Amino acid sequence: MNETLQKIRQETLERLKAAKDESEIESLSVSVFGKSGSLTEILKSMGKLSKEERASVGQSVNAVKKELEKELNERKAEIAARMQELRFEREAIDVTEPGKIAQPEGHLHPMTQTYRAIRDALVGMGFTTYEGPEVEYDDYNFTKLNLPLDHPARDMQDTFYVNDRVVLRTHTSPLEARALLNLKPPFRLIMPGRVFRVDEVDASHSPVFMQMEGFVVDKNLTLADLKGTLLTFIHTVFGEDVKMRFRPSYFPFTEPSAEVDISCTLCGGKGCRLCKGTGWLEILGCGVTNPHELENCGLDPHEWKAIAFGVGVDRIASLKYGITDIRLEYENDARFLKQF
Amino acid sequence: MKLPLKWLKEYVDFNVTPEKFVELMMWRGFEVADIEDEMPGITNVVVGRIEALSKHPNADKLQICSINVGKEENICIVTGATNVYEGALVPVALDGAHLAGDIVIHPTNMRGVESLGMLCSGKELGLTEADYPGAEVYGIMLLQGEHPLGQSIQEAVGLDDLVFDIELTPNRADCQSIIGICREAAAALGQKFREPEIKEIKGAGNSADYASVEVLDTDLCPRYIARAVTDINIAPSPAWLQKRLRSVGLRPINNIVDITNYVMVEYGHPMHAFDLSCITDGHIIVRRGKEGEKVITLDGKEREVSPDVLLIADPIKGVGIAGVMGGENSEITENTKTVLFEAAAFKGSNIRHTTRELRHVTDAAVRFIKGVEPVNAMDAINRAIELVDELGAGKVIGESIDVCAVDTKERVINVDWKHVNAILNTAIAPEEMVKMLDTINIPAKVSGEKLVVTVPHYRVDIESSIESDWDIAEEIGRIYGYYNIEPTLMKGDTFRGRLSPETAFEDEVKDMCVTMGCYEMYNYNFTGPAVINALRIPVDDEKRLAVKLLNPFGEDQSLMRTTLMAGMLDTLARNCNRKTGCGRFFEVGNVHFDNNADLPEERKMLGIIVSGSAESFFTLKGCVEFILRRLGIEDRAEFVTGGGEYFQPGQKATVLVNGEVIGEMGTIHPDVRKAFSVPQAAYAAELNMKKLFDRRVEKKTYKALPKYPLVPRDIAVVVDENVTSAEVVKVIQQSPVKVILENVELFDVYRGPGIPEGKKSMAYSYTVRAEDRTLTDEDISGAMNAIVRSLKARLNADLRA
Repeated sequence: MNETLQKIRQETLERLKAAKDESEIESLSVSVFGKSGSLTEILKSMGKLSKEERASVGQSVNAVKKELEKELNERKAEIAARMQELRFEREAIDVTEPGKIAQPEGHLHPMTQTYRAIRDALVGMGFTTYEGPEVEYDDYNFTKLNLPLDHPARDMQDTFYVNDRVVLRTHTSPLEARALLNLKPPFRLIMPGRVFRVDEVDASHSPVFMQMEGFVVDKNLTLADLKGTLLTFIHTVFGEDVKMRFRPSYFPFTEPSAEVDISCTLCGGKGCRLCKGTGWLEILGCGVTNPHELENCGLDPHEWKAIAFGVGVDRIASLKYGITDIRLEYENDARFLKQF
Repeated sequence: MKLPLKWLKEYVDFNVTPEKFVELMMWRGFEVADIEDEMPGITNVVVGRIEALSKHPNADKLQICSINVGKEENICIVTGATNVYEGALVPVALDGAHLAGDIVIHPTNMRGVESLGMLCSGKELGLTEADYPGAEVYGIMLLQGEHPLGQSIQEAVGLDDLVFDIELTPNRADCQSIIGICREAAAALGQKFREPEIKEIKGAGNSADYASVEVLDTDLCPRYIARAVTDINIAPSPAWLQKRLRSVGLRPINNIVDITNYVMVEYGHPMHAFDLSCITDGHIIVRRGKEGEKVITLDGKEREVSPDVLLIADPIKGVGIAGVMGGENSEITENTKTVLFEAAAFKGSNIRHTTRELRHVTDAAVRFIKGVEPVNAMDAINRAIELVDELGAGKVIGESIDVCAVDTKERVINVDWKHVNAILNTAIAPEEMVKMLDTINIPAKVSGEKLVVTVPHYRVDIESSIESDWDIAEEIGRIYGYYNIEPTLMKGDTFRGRLSPETAFEDEVKDMCVTMGCYEMYNYNFTGPAVINALRIPVDDEKRLAVKLLNPFGEDQSLMRTTLMAGMLDTLARNCNRKTGCGRFFEVGNVHFDNNADLPEERKMLGIIVSGSAESFFTLKGCVEFILRRLGIEDRAEFVTGGGEYFQPGQKATVLVNGEVIGEMGTIHPDVRKAFSVPQAAYAAELNMKKLFDRRVEKKTYKALPKYPLVPRDIAVVVDENVTSAEVVKVIQQSPVKVILENVELFDVYRGPGIPEGKKSMAYSYTVRAEDRTLTDEDISGAMNAIVRSLKARLNADLRA
């Protein structure tokens, strides 16, 4: 009996060693430990033995069984690990192949992105958005803003007319009139929108473009407040390093008026093609609101003051991204839009 | 406004660099657009004399010139020109010279002869006949008169000055004159302005003996001054005057015309000179044109005028269009013996109207449009008379005729100087303000709380109105220097900044579109009738009610769009043709409808267009559903067959929320695609932003997650071809089941073998569950049976075998 046991042990260990995959081990396991397995047969035949013999043989059988089970499990794990390794080798990929996008990516237009950046800077300063119609009364677009019919400054803005009282707004300023007539001061407003001018399309002109007006009505506002507000705004949008130049100008709706330049975003002020060698880029017009405008809209200019500024969003986007041809912004070429 | 440096120096000591001057003027509110060289880009060209001419040994058409350019040795230059001769003074481009058109001259070997430079034509120097007589002759530009050899060509032709091109703001009409801009320049330079004095020429007799003036429309012509000059001697103007005119871009003609132009530039006052012998009875009538009346102007063109146009006339005919151009019939000619000078003030808005009606703008008109004030007219006429005398152009007759309907006495305004400081946030003492105003020749004195300011007649921008404080604040501000104003932060109440709900909503929708892989478009708002036709918009459709522009660029841009469709198709076509590889775009923009109200109805729309091999009606519908879902209204939305004619019949739907139309979508009609050159199938949707905004559900409430498991089931039924998926879903959802039935979704439609003709198989998945227990098999099959019964009863649907 002992011989048989040793033979089983020896054979099993050899077969285990030769086994190549998990199924061979599985069948080996069955042939040894299964219902009619070799080791099981020995256990079955133990009933014929004497009590003493049974105890010693039982001990030997159990020792072999334990040993074989352990060897079997170890070999099984070893083979599994080996198989996994082989699978990994088979499944290795070329990590330098291009990535894939399951859902195609979309893009906001650079003008929208710029508009949001400007707007959010002002929201942080207590401004609220306010919108109005693109087709507007001549009265709001011009007359109420201190630009009566025969005012020479009307020539500054070539206007599309719908009829003698209705125009395509030439700027976002008619919203100033609407705000003054409809809202209770004090307020701080951002007024964005499309505006229209009779300008033939070329690299720097478009008959349609986007403007954004900042308008504050409060008591005791000053030119210095305007300058300070714009300085904060410019630092938020363009960075703390950018310098501002606040110089006198003229607009019918403001007095005193100013134009604002920033140090060139491309060359930092040394002079380049973008700034035409001046080191400065003009970005907006602004001023203390003309008392006639406040009066035309029912406010006492001695009690209330207003400050206003108008930004061309297209222009800022062009400066920000170095876009040299404004036409690109209305062609919607995907290769252009994808860059932002 | 062109300001030649030499002219400026006549009135002001100029002690800075031109660049510094530009900066100083900028801080005064005058932007210098350019510093122009009178001969831009020309260098190293000098005067030379041709000492000897000989034939070129190897070329019949070339000559060899030996030229003296003021150096020890003559230089040799080969020329092909035929108008040169020995002794001629010519412009010589030396080695390294720059000529017009960025040409650089180097020595060259011309057929075996070394040529050390080039003789120049006027064109090569960038000159025209107006710059220098003979500049446009064929061949070399021959210099007239005596010139030192080696002198620069700039000096030789008198174009050696710098000219500042200054951009004037519309409020400073007074600076459209050399005198006016020099007054400001002096203040900017911190120098005294040498105010020119006009020498009064008395003259014999009285102009009224030669002419008379009658102004019928004083509202359009507040002042008209006329002065007669006899014994006219028409001749070219002296060199200094010609040079001045050329330096500001005007062409000298003869002494009388040149005087009027010179005064226009110097004093900013346009003038005119009539040949008095051509004025019937010497009687000038300033009146409106008559219907159909015609006047031939100086440029030889016949112009028909209307009663909106102001005419200068005599008793029988028009002799000029006021403020724009004189008439040919009273033009100054070589034979003119008696002249009547006119210096008048015309109303700018009327002149503006005239230039539009006649479609003709002149230098004079531009000045009148910007504003020419009446007091200046007397200075202008006196200055013209002084020049007549100085030039010996004729015999001055005394006493101008002055028809003046306005008050010419000085205006005085009272300004609250504390308010000026309040506007600027400065603390400038009133006495200091007086000194500041004095630097720009505005007299003022302090009187308690007030500054009493005498407004110079030419400062029409300083108003006697509520605006006075602001007007003076502007002056003080720019003299004080904007750079000296310390930036401050706004005081007063604090404000909670925020986006309006509509703006926030627009952001949200745009972001959703980006999430769906769409690129944002900005299309123009203009469209035209042809485009509306190309979109197959029916005659009675509201999309035909487009707002029409009175002054469009052209027919194709004469309307405001009523749909985003055309712009979307254009963008798509452009991208297809350029093979940019993108097929998903969106735009948020306004459309307008002319509904006979004061202002047209404006609707903000969302447009989405998709195209490409992976796209279909249903991928677009997926985008629309995604938006509706994110807005919390998907379960209240329906897609019902219907929509615009630009969609293909059978593949279009209107989108309803709570039974109301909020938009439409569909497959673009092949004819429309063709019209817009879109080469492949495309699908578009247009949704009304306001309606989406109004219907969106912002408030979201948590619903408890199911405690007991849900059980998924599928069901496939065979129905008639005309039964829609929405109907099947509705019947399933409304089946009388005793469990919670959810997630009813179509997953397959099948037509073909095994399904009778005219029928289709539709397969749906759904889930069932209960609130309080795990479902039993009976629950589940009970629900299935109820659904099958409902489908059979309401749609005659059979369970697919």
